[in-house]
Amino acid sequence: MTIEIGRLCIKIAGRDAGKKAVIIDVLDDKFVVLDGQTRRRKVNVFHIEPLNQVIKIEKNASHGDVANALKELGIETRQTKPKQKTERPKPKRKTPEQLRVQKEEKRKLRDIFRPKKKEEKIGEKKESTLEAKAGLMEEKKEEINPSEAEIKEKKAKPAEKKEEKPKAKKAVGEKE
Amino acid sequence: MPAPRLRSRSLRKVFRKVPGNRVSLQYKRRKHKAARCGSCGNVLHGAPRALPFQMKSLPKTKRRPERPYGGVLCSRCMRQEIVNKIRQ
Repeated sequence: MTIEIGRLCIKIAGRDAGKKAVIIDVLDDKFVVLDGQTRRRKVNVFHIEPLNQVIKIEKNASHGDVANALKELGIETRQTKPKQKTERPKPKRKTPEQLRVQKEEKRKLRDIFRPKKKEEKIGEKKESTLEAKAGLMEEKKEEINPSEAEIKEKKAKPAEKKEEKPKAKKAVGEKE
Repeated sequence: MPAPRLRSRSLRKVFRKVPGNRVSLQYKRRKHKAARCGSCGNVLHGAPRALPFQMKSLPKTKRRPERPYGGVLCSRCMRQEIVNKIRQ
């Protein structure tokens, strides 16, 4: 069996082994080009087993022609779907109107969830505020007194007066 | 003295250097025999010599060659098989 264009053969090596194909081109005494059930590719002659049949096919025939010729013999060829180019949607900047709408939606959502949170917070706040207030008030007093004292100190520079004033305050507090 | 179940030689000993910078003795399952061709009995290429659970973690394309009878017959026997089928 000679190796010629249009000769049916079976590939016996690689992942396409056992698949039928047609010789489309003979490159030299070692390599041929196959197409059919296999991928369209250059193949070593030792990796194919020629069959008896020969098809009339042009040199470097397109895959469609090969597929049609093989269909008549009842051999279905591979069919690869051409890849469709799908562009990714590019992120666009939102227009001011869209932003407004987005904000309004967010507000609506906030309104839905607000009341519950308020109720919970109010209960907590009352407890916390009373304690905090009591604590804060004391703290404030403590804070205020020294500050006032400092101011007074600054105003009254002599050291003797400093000592007198806190003593006087304490005395007032004890009396009350 | 190792535990009685480790004194049989069904498990192999592996010396591992552990993070505390000391060498510890670990017991591991023995490796399986290499995969062999179904017709000629030669060792198969492209089929790793690993335990079943290790094979499971591998991708399928790394467990055996991607051709008809991959991981069962060697390439030479596979070719012979196909040629014989054609000529019958």
